[in-house]
Amino acid sequence: MALLNPRALRWKIAALTAAACCAVAAVIGFLVHDATRERGLRVGHERTITRLIAAERELSRTGKAPPDVDVRTREELPDPLARDLADQPETGGGYATWYDADPPNWFWMWGAVAVGGDQFLVVRDDMSTEVRSLQLLDRSIVKSVLAALVFVVPLAALATEPINRRLRHGARTARRIADGELDARIGSTGRARDEITEMSAAVDDMATALQRKLENEQRFTADVAHELRTPLMGLVTAAGLLPETDEATGLVRDRVRALNALIEDLLEISRLDAGAERARLDAVPLGEFVADVVRRTGTGTQVAAGDADVVETDPRRVERIVVNLVTNAHRHGAGPVQVTVTGTRISVRDHGPGFPAALLEQGPQRFRTGAGERGRGHGLGLTVAQGQAGVLGARLTFANAPDGGAVATLDLAPGPSGTV
Amino acid sequence: MPEPRVPDPVSVLVVEDDDTIRRAVQLALERYGYRVDVAADGLSGLEAFRAGGYDLLILDVMLPELDGIGLCHRIREESLVPVLMMSARGDALDVVAGLEAGADDYVIKPVDTPVLVARIRALLRRATFQPSQSPPPEAPDHVLVFGDLSVDTLGMEVRLAGRPVPLTPTELRLLLEFAAAPGSVLDRRRLLREVWDYGWEGDTRVVDLCVLRLRKKIGSGRIETVRGFGYKLVRD
Repeated sequence: MALLNPRALRWKIAALTAAACCAVAAVIGFLVHDATRERGLRVGHERTITRLIAAERELSRTGKAPPDVDVRTREELPDPLARDLADQPETGGGYATWYDADPPNWFWMWGAVAVGGDQFLVVRDDMSTEVRSLQLLDRSIVKSVLAALVFVVPLAALATEPINRRLRHGARTARRIADGELDARIGSTGRARDEITEMSAAVDDMATALQRKLENEQRFTADVAHELRTPLMGLVTAAGLLPETDEATGLVRDRVRALNALIEDLLEISRLDAGAERARLDAVPLGEFVADVVRRTGTGTQVAAGDADVVETDPRRVERIVVNLVTNAHRHGAGPVQVTVTGTRISVRDHGPGFPAALLEQGPQRFRTGAGERGRGHGLGLTVAQGQAGVLGARLTFANAPDGGAVATLDLAPGPSGTV
Repeated sequence: MPEPRVPDPVSVLVVEDDDTIRRAVQLALERYGYRVDVAADGLSGLEAFRAGGYDLLILDVMLPELDGIGLCHRIREESLVPVLMMSARGDALDVVAGLEAGADDYVIKPVDTPVLVARIRALLRRATFQPSQSPPPEAPDHVLVFGDLSVDTLGMEVRLAGRPVPLTPTELRLLLEFAAAPGSVLDRRRLLREVWDYGWEGDTRVVDLCVLRLRKKIGSGRIETVRGFGYKLVRD
């Protein structure tokens, strides 16, 4: 994956290395090219002047110019050569040169010298050898740079591997912590005391601090719930002994039930948060099971279970989720509440105002019903349902139907299904 | 709603350290027609148990002097009386420890009286059920033999290599369920339904731990685990 990702750090560093290599090669190449060209020109220049001096000497000795030297008038000189000739001081011998790098006569070194009257000796020296060797030089510089890149880029990519590995390890660990594995730590990998080590240590410290905080909170919740259960048990049993005829009995029992449910939800959430829950799998015929569970809630909810599967799951947790969803639908939504089982999916739909926007965005939050004025719930039911779905490896999603009403869907993610 | 009193009251011993729970459970069960004695700690619970043949014991787990699990162990050394554990700790470890100690079932506090009574009734049904209910009485072969294990479905007696094996009523019902269909796999749900009389509301861990105890008594190789399905009795 990381190997193919063009934005991976490895390729960025490799590209950076390649760019640096190219820049250095360009500067050095330019300097070398320039120096070589200068030298070539100087050599051509000297050769031309040498030839002119020889021709001058030949002319003065024999009265005739050598065959490879022209004798021209000023009008016959090429313009740049004539200009250069005019610039020459009289004392310096008056040798003019012009390097013609333009077509059609390119790479010729022209030389001219006045020999009295309107007569000029003109030589042309072929510079193509120098030019060709310069071109060869350029080409070989480019070739060497490319050859170097072929080695340097993979080497740079490889050299980033230890860094990459440490970064990936850090990212993986952070993700594991986020997934609830609170003991996971990056640890000090390697002896390098660099920024990555520093960041790893900081992340580890953060994880430790968070873990301690979380565990304290969980222990507190669990302790509170345990300590509450004992007096609650006495209360529940004693409330059962009150005379049936008294109206106050109903009030007391109702509140005892509410208190009981609240404490059980809290205890369950603290267990779910601690990650202490494990699913106990059974082959569950989902249709009949859900129908049975919904019937036992005594809420008059319609159940449609046409083509339900037999699912390998933990029936007690599924029951918990379904009961909470149905109860929530009746408490915060409006009837009719419909439960539909299709395949491995259970959806609970009501015809009330739908889920509040905050719940759709962030999922269920404890004690945040977003509808305090309507309901009497404490916002734990959906949190419990979500947590239990997590234990089952199922997906619980909340949505609003286009024509109004809340829809909660539990997908038990098709596992190996069997028969009972 | 309290039921009409039974002519011959079933006697129950409740061992519980919390005063309110002890008294309230006693009163509640008495309304359902049980004769209820109470003890406030493990040792006096053990004394009370030794003093008077109870039909059923309800033990709290966290008790002073001798905790419920230790008490259950001690009781199991002497008797096969049905034991119901009652705990404020519902974590897996506590439940498993209680069941391993030989309890037949457990409830987590707080428990509504009707639920408690339903559990008690299911336990007593197992303890007192008529042999004629399960295998056909006219079957000439009422002694089923699996190697050196013999199960007398009329005399309700189990012998291993000729020697009688003491089984609690729950363990006996479980073994009879297996013996009725030797070699076929019985899933936990079905066992929970047939032996414990529970529907989906039951916890299949009680099945696993009862099988564990049964294996200790009749030999570990006799009941095989079929992973993902349940258990079966080896036909031999």
